[in-house]
Amino acid sequence: MPPKYPETYLREKPSWMAWERIADFLYFGFKTLGKRLSIALLDVGGIAILWILTSYVIIRLSTGEIGYALVPWWTFGIGVVEIAALWESFGRSFGHRVARLELRRGDGGDPALHQRFVHWLLWHVSVLPLVGLLPTPPLHERASGLALRPFTMEGRTPKPWWRTSTGLYVAWLLGISVVAAVSVTISWEDLVRLFTNAGSTAKFWRSFFSPDTSIIVKTVRALVVTVFMAMTATAFAVMVAVPLSFFAARNLMRGLIGRSIYTVIRVAMSIIRSIEPVVWAIFFLVWVRVELAPFAGVLALFVHSVSDLTKLYAERLESIDPGLIEAIAATGANRLQVLRYAVIPQIVNPYISFTLYRWDINIRMATVVGVVGGGGIGQDLFFYLKGNLWTQAGTVMLFIIALVWAIDYFSARLRAKLA
Amino acid sequence: MAEPYLVVEHLTKVYERGHVVALKDLSFEVQKGEFLVIIGLSGSGKSTLLRCINRLIEPTKGRIFIDGVEITKLSPRQMRKFRRKIGMIFQHFNLIKRATVMTNVLTGRLGYIPTWKTLFGIFPRNDRELALRNLERVGLLEKAYVRADELSGGQQQRVGIARALMQQPELLLADEPVSALDPATSHSVMQYIEQMNQEDGVTVLASLHFLSLARRYGTRIIALKDGELVFDGAPEEIDDQKFKEIYGEEAEEVEIR
Ligand SMILES: Nc1ncnc2c1ncn2[C@@H]1O[C@H](COP(=O)(O)OP(=O)(O)OP(=O)(O)O)[C@@H](O)[C@H]1O
Ligand SMILES: [Mg+2]
Repeated sequence: MPPKYPETYLREKPSWMAWERIADFLYFGFKTLGKRLSIALLDVGGIAILWILTSYVIIRLSTGEIGYALVPWWTFGIGVVEIAALWESFGRSFGHRVARLELRRGDGGDPALHQRFVHWLLWHVSVLPLVGLLPTPPLHERASGLALRPFTMEGRTPKPWWRTSTGLYVAWLLGISVVAAVSVTISWEDLVRLFTNAGSTAKFWRSFFSPDTSIIVKTVRALVVTVFMAMTATAFAVMVAVPLSFFAARNLMRGLIGRSIYTVIRVAMSIIRSIEPVVWAIFFLVWVRVELAPFAGVLALFVHSVSDLTKLYAERLESIDPGLIEAIAATGANRLQVLRYAVIPQIVNPYISFTLYRWDINIRMATVVGVVGGGGIGQDLFFYLKGNLWTQAGTVMLFIIALVWAIDYFSARLRAKLA
Repeated sequence: MAEPYLVVEHLTKVYERGHVVALKDLSFEVQKGEFLVIIGLSGSGKSTLLRCINRLIEPTKGRIFIDGVEITKLSPRQMRKFRRKIGMIFQHFNLIKRATVMTNVLTGRLGYIPTWKTLFGIFPRNDRELALRNLERVGLLEKAYVRADELSGGQQQRVGIARALMQQPELLLADEPVSALDPATSHSVMQYIEQMNQEDGVTVLASLHFLSLARRYGTRIIALKDGELVFDGAPEEIDDQKFKEIYGEEAEEVEIR
């Protein structure tokens, strides 16, 4: 008889593999906050969110009202903390999983029920006031004879996700989030209008087939301005982003000072990037009070491009082959020479390719930025739309589509050549 | 006996990440002109040892002397200068893939040329001549202006050898130079290394995976197991008993001809 292997071993991609990736990502924060505090925060926070979302959906669907807790807030607070305490003591909580830890006896064996009970009781004394977490191991672990140990799959078979508490928890969280999200953003009336009211856009569509030829020259001129806006912004962004990317690459920034610079740049860049170019455009319109509107648009695109390119460039730098660096360093080359002969050859083409890609994005963004007054074709479009000049708006749209399509096509071709 | 060329004293390397002790209190000496082969299972610390010798990896403890100089004491700047005398070739060749063979070979001179010149890709005429001579020596003169990634594995490794030759080294470190190659190509590459050893008097430290290759080319063999020295002697001394000690009870010897 052939040996019987657990089903989860035979599946091509065990479910716990994908999960590890996400856990890796979350785990990053753990090192800074301390293991046990992070675990507690993650569990309490997660359960609180789950409770609120579930209550919201129940209240919304049953009464149509908006509410969040179903119970008095103090009950909610105690409930959340208690569930977390029970989960961390009697099972393997979400936080435990993310930290890749599990509760084991001192000698590595399975915890007994009474030990878990002691752990739970003292959890309140130890974790709730937070100071209990300072000694290692904290009070509740010492008293119960249990300890958080690195989790290992060695000698065990993975359970399918629906048989683990975390699997069910995450599934519930995802499911309820979708339901809540749908119920917040879409109403029945909206849906009805979507299917019955399409006729009111007819004017708009008709204008595509009868463009207003009198504004062609003006439109083309605005179009050129838009392309130039994108070019200026991209060019200056490259000048800033290329040097910056070297300070934002993890593998190049070693040591305490290096890592701090790395972190500062990365955080700053992701904050800048998270603010849309349109918002930046408004910001710069207020700041520079331009008569020449395109300048504000260029600044907005520039700022956003710098942060985006820095990230793309830096990620490319992080994935360069360290072997070549070793080989060049082994010849007795100095740092600059290593940069010139080991790093740069590996990044030139990707950098050019990213730049083209960004230029392509900037052209599309430039029209959007124009809508708030950042100059170029977007400004024209906005003007026509506001004045209900559908024919003119349609004409402008036609040009925008042609431009974006052309740029898209050529930059894709070029990038394929570079790859 | 003459003063040994390379002395390794109580060398220990601990990788912070994962707390791996890759080398444990390793001591040995190498005479000038020896062809020392390092064998051992995957993960036994061969690569780590070779990289400690030119300090691509900083040793945790212990001292290393090359030609009477304590290189573990050198400043980074002095070490860079010193590395010019130490050539290195790699399992995966580590060439600049998008650059020509010529450029790749010329990088072997980086330590000898003023930095500003190399930044613009300017190499002196006699270095270019030397590069062509070395390419001729490894039989790749015709390929001088071909892109490195258009060559076969064996050819790429020969470019690696030519690059090391450019340094006019006294010591050659070879980290599994033929592991990515087929048996026939392996021998041709090994013969170029042997030639460096015998004709130019370069002391060679090479890690190899096949005992048959080690026996054929090495003048002496050391074996590592979990970062410890478990054998040091002539190739003939490795009998079945020793072999099992190095590679474990279950292992069986494979021939490569
Ligand atoms: N950068 C690193 N960080 C942490 N541990 C490392 C690192 N490099 C190597 N190690 C560990 O050090 C030990 C020795 O590795 P090393 O690469 O020197 O072995 P090797 O003998 O060259 O193996 P192979 O034949 O597979 O190349 C291994 O256990 C390895 O996991
Ligand atoms: Mg190795």
